[in-house]
Amino acid sequence: MAEHYSSFERGSLRWLLQRVTAVFLVGALAFHFVLLHFVNHAAEIEFAGTEARMGSLIYFSLMITFLVTATFHGVNGVFNGLVNMGLTGRKKRIVAAVLALASLLLVAQGIRVAIAMGGF
Amino acid sequence: MSNVHDRGTVESFGRWREFRAGMWAWLFHKLTGWILVGYLFTHIAVLSTATESPEMYTDTLQGLEALLIVRFLEIGLLAVAVFHILNGIRLLFVDLGVGLENQDKSFYASLVFTGAITVASVPTFLAGAL
Repeated sequence: MAEHYSSFERGSLRWLLQRVTAVFLVGALAFHFVLLHFVNHAAEIEFAGTEARMGSLIYFSLMITFLVTATFHGVNGVFNGLVNMGLTGRKKRIVAAVLALASLLLVAQGIRVAIAMGGF
Repeated sequence: MSNVHDRGTVESFGRWREFRAGMWAWLFHKLTGWILVGYLFTHIAVLSTATESPEMYTDTLQGLEALLIVRFLEIGLLAVAVFHILNGIRLLFVDLGVGLENQDKSFYASLVFTGAITVASVPTFLAGAL
């Protein structure tokens, strides 16, 4: 077997959640790109079209789930990368707190944006 | 697995000639992941400033799309996202113990498919910009 590397401790909760969110994100990220660059050309997007899409509760829910899972997956990946590089003790707790706060702010702001887009 | 292989400090790129497929896959996945999470924060920030009014939203998006550099950055973002998705699928299979013997070949396949999809998308991304 060729060498296999990972920044995660296999079997840990953070490792499991990273994999579970990954399964969802594979589809969600591909869908997001295809819809907003290939089905609808980005240069032709206007607010009315965005409002029509985001006004659908199914699309709105999908985008919020996408936002939450992408934020978790990204920030969890960064955190595990730093832990893998030797982050420990007090520094590790501070970094975890800062990243958790940044995640909460991003999700809250992202929800505000989605609400504004949907005209709710 | 990080607890099996002592890879030393990978960030000392002086060792890059010793890297095998698994190490390159890990490095590229990490690098594309950093870019994507950075873009996620930027994406929400830009949309936040654009949703002040419907007119500002349309003007902001169309103003950005009018810049050729933005179109090329979008192609770069697509390449980064496609590689992260394809290599991510490969990692899910590796974690399930499927295809471990061929995980170096599946990394090369991820690179080839990323290149092919990126090149095929260029006309779409540059439409109306040149």
